[in-house]
Amino acid sequence: MMADAIGNKIANGDDGSEIIDRILNAGRKLGYETEVYFVTGKGINLELKGKLIGEACGSETWAMGVRVIKDGRIGCSSTNSPSRWEDCLNSAIAGSKFSDMQEWGGMAKPSKPAVSSLNVFDKNIADCDIATAKELIERMLSAAEGKGAEIAGGSGSLSVGTTTVANTEGVCYSLEKTGCGVSMETIDGTSTGYEFDSSGFLKDLDPERVGREACEMAVFSKNGGDIATGKYDVILSPLSVCQLLSAVVIPSLSGRNVHSKRSYLEGKLGECVFDEKLSLYDNPFEGESARLYDAEGVPTKRIDFVKDGVVEAFAYDLRTAYRYGEKSTGSAVRAGAGGAPVIGTHNICLDGKRENIFDEKAVFATGIVGAHTANGVTGDFSVELSNASWMNAGVKENPIKSAMLSGNIFDMLKNLSGISKESRDFGSGVIPYLRFSELSVIGR
Amino acid sequence: MESPDYYDIRHVNGSSVHIEIDNGRIESASGSFSDTAVLRVLKKSGWGIVSIENYGSKSKKEINEYIKTALRYASATAEKVELAEAKSGILKVPAMKEDPREISLEEKCGLLMEIERAAAIKDIINTRANYTEGSGTVHFEDSSGNEYEYEICRSGYSVSAVAKRGDIIQAGRESEHTILGLNLRHKAEKGRSAAERAVSLLDAKPAKGGIMDAVLDQELAGVFAHEAVGHASEGDLVKEGVSVLKGKMGERIGNGILTVVDDPTLPEFGFMPVDCEGILPARTEIIKNGVLNSYLHNRQTLAAVGDGDAGHARAQTGEVPVVRMSNTFIENGDSSYDEVIAECRNGILLKGSRGGQVDPGRGVFQFNAEYGYLIENGELSGMVRDLSLSGEILKTLHDIVLCADDRRMNPGYCGKSGQNVPVTDGSPHLLLKNAVIGGMG
Repeated sequence: MMADAIGNKIANGDDGSEIIDRILNAGRKLGYETEVYFVTGKGINLELKGKLIGEACGSETWAMGVRVIKDGRIGCSSTNSPSRWEDCLNSAIAGSKFSDMQEWGGMAKPSKPAVSSLNVFDKNIADCDIATAKELIERMLSAAEGKGAEIAGGSGSLSVGTTTVANTEGVCYSLEKTGCGVSMETIDGTSTGYEFDSSGFLKDLDPERVGREACEMAVFSKNGGDIATGKYDVILSPLSVCQLLSAVVIPSLSGRNVHSKRSYLEGKLGECVFDEKLSLYDNPFEGESARLYDAEGVPTKRIDFVKDGVVEAFAYDLRTAYRYGEKSTGSAVRAGAGGAPVIGTHNICLDGKRENIFDEKAVFATGIVGAHTANGVTGDFSVELSNASWMNAGVKENPIKSAMLSGNIFDMLKNLSGISKESRDFGSGVIPYLRFSELSVIGR
Repeated sequence: MESPDYYDIRHVNGSSVHIEIDNGRIESASGSFSDTAVLRVLKKSGWGIVSIENYGSKSKKEINEYIKTALRYASATAEKVELAEAKSGILKVPAMKEDPREISLEEKCGLLMEIERAAAIKDIINTRANYTEGSGTVHFEDSSGNEYEYEICRSGYSVSAVAKRGDIIQAGRESEHTILGLNLRHKAEKGRSAAERAVSLLDAKPAKGGIMDAVLDQELAGVFAHEAVGHASEGDLVKEGVSVLKGKMGERIGNGILTVVDDPTLPEFGFMPVDCEGILPARTEIIKNGVLNSYLHNRQTLAAVGDGDAGHARAQTGEVPVVRMSNTFIENGDSSYDEVIAECRNGILLKGSRGGQVDPGRGVFQFNAEYGYLIENGELSGMVRDLSLSGEILKTLHDIVLCADDRRMNPGYCGKSGQNVPVTDGSPHLLLKNAVIGGMG
């Protein structure tokens, strides 16, 4: 009964310190290094059905993940019921007994972050006011007005949340951040358009752009022409590049995939695998996903994965680092409180020699359909382009009805024609346009 | 208190188990607990919805507060919602042969290890296996007095192997999921088959892209039924005008040999005893002998669009119900597999699936096969890899000219609106004329 009272108190806005202490003490008493990852928050999401708001959904989050370690055996569990904290701890302990022993040098110890503070909280979002969310939708709709496309759907959302990571070594870090986002889906005949935006700050969100561009995209892509199968110069939008990076390149930078030989980049550290123009790094101090400590309390830092084409680093969490004699790069991430921390990136940036890549005519892809079907180990892919067109002197012209693009993402990034001066900030990545020559396009 | 015109609450009290083995090491064996409800209300216009965690501990007074909050949210909406009447009811959940929850974690780890170790053969450099088990009690009640409760346990595993020779790397994968009880016993051959596929792909040539006749195996053709036909028939997409099947009810949209069905009553992985609005699930024939026959609906889209069956509302735990498929398949034809291959004469056999995606508004789909074989003079020849198939839904439905009589069902998960739900896809082998094949050869 005691636990219930504590649970209700936390659900009503407590910072969780009481239940966190209780779990850490119980774990310590049983001889386990113990870690609690604790998430609270709330949000509001408005869904457009056609051009009318059809659903208004509010949510409250209360969840925690517990991890225990003894003799190099790791166990995890999670729950969203405060009253089940003991079941959760016991389940983590039971799981640890079956997992195989590994090298383990201890959970994160208290340490100073690489920068002193982050700017990730907007007080204008913090109360998740439904009127504020409604205003975002209205701004987006009025920018879409009279643009010629039908609005099929969309959304406007606000959220605020606090994540805390605490362990028996004395680590206890909390980060409170806000988020807002809008999206719009449109159609004109059988030509579809989609745009979105998200930010940690209301003032940085651009619902007008989303409304305008989602409509323009559908209208522009109507009555697309055919393209003959052949080799073409291709410009990929930041979104298309991001889709391919996420499906293949980012997983191949994970130390775990590298050491388990599931990465194309295995054995290639120090080699010039990519075009010399290209650099790829994680900058955890900017963007919506910015954080001072990773999901297991290790200070985050900039990681230069690829510098001037040369593979310089892989991403590690504590577990993988201990196992293979490396150092954690502060790359542990969690998608919510469930499961165990895994290796990921916080804010991936593709950079390098910037130039005007738009002068000469090329096939342009706004997005790609089916990036997740790429071969994650080899990098081979074959995807359908969405809202494809020709691009001439930087201007989109002559939409292409349907085109399939086949290639290998690693070969493409080795033989890059150019990186644009412009970038798009996705909140968890900052990505430019990329130009490639002689890619295989299959028409109808 | 102001009362809603309609409300429903769907509460899921569940637990899950996950085991992960990587190269013969048990990386994790974990369990989790969840207790979440979604409350929806209607008042004058659209839905006000609240997602509530730790629902089991809430008092009547707190629940009334949530209803008030949901009503406040509903007042921000503008769309008028009507709910069609549909038969409420619940099916019996099929019995399990062996309840996974009664098997110790230790034994499950051992069984998964047997499957994973069977994949460690020559040329294989990495093996991995996962087991997932999700079980729980689902309770539904609405303001019309309907109330249902059921318990279901879904479990399954996947095993994958990576093969390497020189610079060539290839992967193979097998998976099985079920509602019929533990499926980990005597499955070592699945580990071996994933590994053997990866090894044989080392010698396969990259496929040459282009337009050609293709035979789709049961798994890939099932993905076609799901991605290209199933999604476009979802009533919410039809209602918002983003489906190429809008306005085509009763029209011939495909070859007369083609019948496509969604049936949540089958004891397959996509089974549900009652939908998320308390409606009794029923078999829906989306395409019957080439003619568009029914859309998949929830109560709202049935009222707005018509022409179909409610009972297809589904949701991931803690999420808002949306119109979803369950067990979706193409019915058997009367040709044999050999006849389908012979009839293709020169083309390609596409096998297995690495997933797919569809833009139902544009009517375009894309998916990847795991591997394939060239068909020359009506017979299978060399193995090929990294192939994909894309096309226009409406054109493709006319270009399916033969259906074999060997339908098989494949369980998996489907993503839509940020939610994953368990589904099964199925089909017999199909012959598709003038297919757009992507490849790098």
